[in-house]
Amino acid sequence: MVIGFKDALKFIGISVVVVCAAFVCTLFLNYDLDIRGLTNIPDEAIPLYKAHLSMGKAIAGISGCGLALTSVVLLVFYLKNYIDAHGKELGILKAMGYSRFSVARRFWIFGLSVLSGALIGFGVAYLYMPTFYRVQNADGILPKIAVGFHFELLLCLVVLPTLVFAGLAVLYAFYKLKAPVLNLLRESQENTIKARREKEGPFLKGLRLATLKSKKLLVFLIAFSAFCFSSMVQMSLSMPDLASETFAWMILMIGLILAFMTLLMSLSSVVKGNAKTIAMMRIFGYGYGVCSDRILGAYRPFAYVGFAVGTVYQFILLKLMLGLFFSDVNVPAYTFDWKALLIALFAFVVMYEFILFLYAQKIKKLSLKSVMGE
Amino acid sequence: MIVAKEIRKFYGNGENRQEVLKGIDLTVSDREFVVILGASGSGKSTLLNILSGLERADSGSILYDETDITGFSDSELTKFRKKQVGFIFQQYYLLPHLTVEKNVRMGADLAGNANFAEVIEAVGLSGKSKNYPCELSGGEQQRVAIARALAKDPKVLFCDEPTGALDEVTGRQILDYLSKVQKNSGITVIMVTHNQNIADMADTVVKLNSGRVVEVRKNDKRKTAYEIGW
Ligand SMILES: Nc1ncnc2c1ncn2[C@@H]1O[C@H](COP(=O)(O)OP(=O)(O)OP(=O)(O)O)[C@@H](O)[C@H]1O
Ligand SMILES: [Mg+2]
Repeated sequence: MVIGFKDALKFIGISVVVVCAAFVCTLFLNYDLDIRGLTNIPDEAIPLYKAHLSMGKAIAGISGCGLALTSVVLLVFYLKNYIDAHGKELGILKAMGYSRFSVARRFWIFGLSVLSGALIGFGVAYLYMPTFYRVQNADGILPKIAVGFHFELLLCLVVLPTLVFAGLAVLYAFYKLKAPVLNLLRESQENTIKARREKEGPFLKGLRLATLKSKKLLVFLIAFSAFCFSSMVQMSLSMPDLASETFAWMILMIGLILAFMTLLMSLSSVVKGNAKTIAMMRIFGYGYGVCSDRILGAYRPFAYVGFAVGTVYQFILLKLMLGLFFSDVNVPAYTFDWKALLIALFAFVVMYEFILFLYAQKIKKLSLKSVMGE
Repeated sequence: MIVAKEIRKFYGNGENRQEVLKGIDLTVSDREFVVILGASGSGKSTLLNILSGLERADSGSILYDETDITGFSDSELTKFRKKQVGFIFQQYYLLPHLTVEKNVRMGADLAGNANFAEVIEAVGLSGKSKNYPCELSGGEQQRVAIARALAKDPKVLFCDEPTGALDEVTGRQILDYLSKVQKNSGITVIMVTHNQNIADMADTVVKLNSGRVVEVRKNDKRKTAYEIGW
């Protein structure tokens, strides 16, 4: 098997998250670096200046770290899926005598998904920067700020992440390839065996549990996508009162992109990973509804938990940020925004259920024969 | 009784269009053991899939006691499969994340059959009911697949090369078990194979050649799985 560019394309989810991360970090860090160079700040603007300085770092830090972590989780998730799906080919390579490293080495290509994402995010940030600077200083309190290009940002936000991710991919593959050839070749899953405490009970109940257990990362990802949606949408809804509208929009966009990317990816993987099971159930005479309810529906509670956690998280985060950075600037006191919660919840329920419905249709279209033929 | 009339099936389109079944007529009585023989690519699996309602024919009709299933909607077909048929495949297709017991219950629960433990015992796997498929040998996996199919009390059992991946000893065991179940519980078995010897176990042998039935033979006496050659 030669891992090619086409495989790297499958990692587009990572690219999208990396675009967001690179965009936000470039924008705010560049701003930070540029205003740091300002000297002639009028006295009355100093609190605002300080607030901008720390806010730039905080936003870049929080969203950057969050997004970077997300991309690492996604990378591991994708790689694990990839290795599971291509276990046979990898096993055969190993059986033929290819060394672990000579196979793992080829996984560097997945660093390209990070490179492309980071480059796009970086570029778009610079395109948007003039507008951003103008909006930031709309009331003209600070002196005029010129957009400067900082090479070190290119290094830290594009080159470095690419290298780190390429290395990570190779290392992870190297680690996974430790498995004996037979385990790679067979459909055996380590965690199947680990989850040995399967209880007595009807098939459908067991199926729900086994579906969840077989890919725990998916549970996390689906909860995470709801978390992103809930926290970012609510934050952006409460923001216009607190900070600027640009932020609100930016956070909203990032939240939606993150939530949708992870959700779509996870559900696709659920359907793909369970295609054989679904096909077999369909052959035996289980209806579509039962299949999608047991398999897709198994994740629903976790999505709602993710939503709840996101609500609490954004509340605490906003409270902290306002307390820390804007204590000496005039902003209205922040209390929990129930309206935002209701709107976000409503939007979430509608969208989540709609997407589930779409995937249920996908299950309906699975052709029995093509699934079995593999 | 199952009656297939003038079944035609095409695959591909344009220049690649190929007639895989060229007007198949076939009658299978209740409680009959039918073996469909034919070379690789002759259309055996396709015919089996169409007879069992997994795939649709392009023309022709399939009657189960006067009910034509070719006009069924997807959900009607699902209901039909749930009530009437069981499947056994060459590749077993067990659900890898579930234990033997849960795999068998997949069939049993459909029919509200609480005696799944007996079925597992009957295929000689009571000791392994908590094992996962990847911990079983090929023959054991096929026995689970058989238990799964029988646990749902099908009226007709469709088997596509059930012993294709097994050695002689295991293959004979499986066939012996299937043929006994068929006799004792009076289900209809339609089995596809390219092993000519297995045909001696059947009531009726249907020979297929490039999409046509070329011979239908009735055996006066059925041989057991241990009497046939291999
Ligand atoms: N989905 C499909 N698309 C196109 N052609 C198909 C498809 N399925 C089967 N065929 C073709 O139909 C013909 C009959 O296939 P079928 O699987 O029924 O053969 P078979 O008799 O079961 O063979 P074997 O003993 O090898 O399993 C073959 O020539 C095959 O290439
Ligand atoms: Mg076949």
